[in-house]
Amino acid sequence: MSHTFGAYAFAVGRKYGLAGATGLKTRLAYLGNYAGSILTYGLFVFVFSRIWTAVFESKAGATGFIAGYDRATAIWYFIVAEISVFGFGRFFWRLAEDVKSGQVSYLLGRPYSFVGFHYAEAMGPALVDALIFLAEGYLLGTLLAGPPAHFGPGRAAALILSLLLAGSLQFFLQLALAMTAFWIEENAAFFWIFQKLALIVGTLLPIEFLPARAQAAAACTPFPSLSYAPARIAVAAGIPEGLRLVSVQVAWLLGAVVLCEAVYRLARKNLSVNGG
Amino acid sequence: MEKQSRIKAYARFLGASFSANFLAVIEYRVNFFLQVFGMMLNNGAFALFWGVLLGRTGGIGGYEFTDVMIVWAITSSAFGLAHVVFGNIRNLGRIIMQGELDLYLLQPKDVFLNVLASKTIVSAWGDLVYGLIVVALLPGFGLGRFFLFCALTATGAVIFAATFAAAESLAFFLGNSQAISSALSEFLLSFSLYPETIFDKGMRWLFYTILPSGFIAFVPLAIYRSLDWRLIPVLIFVAVLYAGLSYALFRAGLRRYESGNQMGARV
Repeated sequence: MSHTFGAYAFAVGRKYGLAGATGLKTRLAYLGNYAGSILTYGLFVFVFSRIWTAVFESKAGATGFIAGYDRATAIWYFIVAEISVFGFGRFFWRLAEDVKSGQVSYLLGRPYSFVGFHYAEAMGPALVDALIFLAEGYLLGTLLAGPPAHFGPGRAAALILSLLLAGSLQFFLQLALAMTAFWIEENAAFFWIFQKLALIVGTLLPIEFLPARAQAAAACTPFPSLSYAPARIAVAAGIPEGLRLVSVQVAWLLGAVVLCEAVYRLARKNLSVNGG
Repeated sequence: MEKQSRIKAYARFLGASFSANFLAVIEYRVNFFLQVFGMMLNNGAFALFWGVLLGRTGGIGGYEFTDVMIVWAITSSAFGLAHVVFGNIRNLGRIIMQGELDLYLLQPKDVFLNVLASKTIVSAWGDLVYGLIVVALLPGFGLGRFFLFCALTATGAVIFAATFAAAESLAFFLGNSQAISSALSEFLLSFSLYPETIFDKGMRWLFYTILPSGFIAFVPLAIYRSLDWRLIPVLIFVAVLYAGLSYALFRAGLRRYESGNQMGARV
């Protein structure tokens, strides 16, 4: 029994592992594409490091702290928060295009789960992207704000776990939005709204900067789990807060997986495949 | 006299290109309004960011919330106008590299203007409108400031278009210059959207030379704040200078152009 289960688990892992590797190969075939995103990420980090420097040189920053952040932690926060956006923030377009172009009908007859296949295929290259931005962010952060304070192996492991959860949550939420193309072809507006809310709630600014009511409202949404959680874990969270942030991420991730499966089942009933 | 009639002819040509491009994009109305709305939403997210940050910290580097919004409004509308009228600027390098200029070379109008004006970018309409909405909502807005804003948008658009076109024209000399032109565009836009004073004094000379954010956003901010028309002729002179240099670079490059022998048609 255990032997059979082990073989099955290996076969499933191999299948989705191959999907991930294929996605990664496609991404690596066009290395030039990395130059643009590396430059844009670096530019954003530089500009925001200047903004935070100016903020902490202003009257409000006279004590050295605003909302519990000092200049260095604010810069490091931004560096980590943007990794979630640059590494995992653009799944939607490819997924929505697959639905609109009819590519989805090709996948339906294959011996793998539609959701699982897309997840593996998208996450393979995205993980490498995130790793590149992490390395670039580390170099830039060290240059612009000094080495990160209180950053040991424990915090590094928690950060990686939180980034993986954030990336997966990004994927499933974006897939759920992309699948609205089964009903509404022009669905880009949904993603834009999602993207901008994610930007405001915890990416450009730590949530502690928002007014109290906005903070309370944000806590009821999945947005803090996308950028705020890994960034906060990287710069400030202690063990209890880190555990709470990761637990909330896991809960939202499970919810998003269930949502995707439900939307997919509904959508499949709506799908009519024509072709020859 | 002949010069005047040529200017009129080119103004008519630009008008005709603009209306043809507009009619083409408005054909897909839902897509048009979605993209315009999306771009306004994108810009609005940054307004919220500044509102929250400056609400907590007060001004930074001598910039209050209103100042940042004026910079955003002028830059956004200027960037939008440049891409609405000259929507092909960001494709110029690819067109040169793939030898697709032949189509424009055979037509009687000036190649540079003809290529640039042969397309409009839909999302840029969102940028253009966003800037107008923002300044209209700011305190002290009236007819005088409206006309001043239009003048600043126009000079900014010419400087944006000239700089982007010059970067794209490097394709004549370097072949694939996509990385350089994308970097230059990204830097120019980013530096034009944030307060000048947050950047080190040592790098500010860049804003008045190869990355002319100073003439697109920072000088216009001072003019708009003081409602002072006297500096407008200076900005017009700067815009003409940038346009002239960009045109000269394109013409110099055109001598090195090699046709791609492609068949093509403009419909």
